[in-house]
Amino acid sequence: MEARHRPAKLLVSIFLIWSFLVNPISSLSVTVNDVECVYEYVLYEGDTVSGNYVVVDHDIFWSSDHPGIDFTVTSPAGNSVHTQKGTSGDKFEFKAPRSGMYKFCFHNPYSTPETVSFYIHVGHIPNEHDLAKDEHLDPINVKIAELREALESVTSEQKYLKARDTRHRHTNESTRKRVIYYTLAEYLLLACVSSLQVFYIRRLFSKSVAYNRV
Amino acid sequence: MVRSLTFLLLALGTLFSVSESVRFELQSGHTKCISEDIKSNSMTVGKYSIINPNEGQPMPQSHKITIRVTSAYGNSYHYADLVDSGQFAFTTAESGDYNACFWAPDHNPPDTMAIEFDWKAGITTRDWSNVAKKGQVDMMELELKKLQDTISSIHDEMFYLREREKEMQELNISINDKMGWMSVLSLAVCLSVAGLQLWHLKTFFEKKKII
Repeated sequence: MEARHRPAKLLVSIFLIWSFLVNPISSLSVTVNDVECVYEYVLYEGDTVSGNYVVVDHDIFWSSDHPGIDFTVTSPAGNSVHTQKGTSGDKFEFKAPRSGMYKFCFHNPYSTPETVSFYIHVGHIPNEHDLAKDEHLDPINVKIAELREALESVTSEQKYLKARDTRHRHTNESTRKRVIYYTLAEYLLLACVSSLQVFYIRRLFSKSVAYNRV
Repeated sequence: MVRSLTFLLLALGTLFSVSESVRFELQSGHTKCISEDIKSNSMTVGKYSIINPNEGQPMPQSHKITIRVTSAYGNSYHYADLVDSGQFAFTTAESGDYNACFWAPDHNPPDTMAIEFDWKAGITTRDWSNVAKKGQVDMMELELKKLQDTISSIHDEMFYLREREKEMQELNISINDKMGWMSVLSLAVCLSVAGLQLWHLKTFFEKKKII
């Protein structure tokens, strides 16, 4: 009797291990030239899909703030679940209406390539239906899953802050370069203009030009 | 017993592994790079594979990719030429942006390949299934251990963010100082250039006996 039950218990525990190993993907960045799509599989209907994306600018020397990137989430049925137009970074969260492969697309309406750093997390909390189906699933597993999801939201926020910090750092570097190079160019221009002035005045008084013109 | 167990693990792994990784499409002849910011001295594991477009049939021979993983400073950590799946694992020596670049060879007619890529860095690389198997650990205890690991990684990340904020603040203060000094210097340059002009023209006119 015991030998027969052990494989079944191992099976269930393996199932539980794997179901709780639904790891989030780490924060990745892609360069968006026109459209870049990322696919993520949602296992259960009703799962909360959350994440964030930040546009980390390239060193665009002349332009001001980036106009924005469009973000669309398409469900496996083909309709768009979430849209965000013309932002330089945002957080999103929605409940998946059905299970399947979801498409997360970034669209760059302008020609300059932009780097987008994104993080997507699919979170599943076992509900009463799952509890009823599987007798080894305790109500405490629900609490643990909720705790895990809460910690995931903290991690997600941290990744968002880190990506924004990276963008801030790029802006600061660009500011520093501009301060140095623009002021040096200004000094050079000033010296050139004043020496041009001096040469012109000297030329006005030179003997080769008619003396009476002055 | 062990064999059936591992088979079951593998079967369930393929069932659930799709939810762990990111999938993207690669057109033939194009390059796609995915980068990740990884701290130094942390373990990182990556698995990539081309998804078979036809279920049940063998993969078309032409579906191969070349991958190279480089660090922010240009050192190559992994290189594989014309493979359809593989994995890499290394410990990072330097912190910064690590790039995993995929090249697809030219096909005729142009084809699009779907690639499954799973890149874990730092705390998420720990293989929990091994820990569970080895120690005969209770499920609940395993879950709580995982939560504890997550919390400590959050704590470390907060320290890291704090350090970066400090660096940013120092950078801002230095920019502020520079701007102050540069403005004062610009005024000095302007005045000195004007003074030089006046002095030069005065001596010039005196030489010409106009003044």
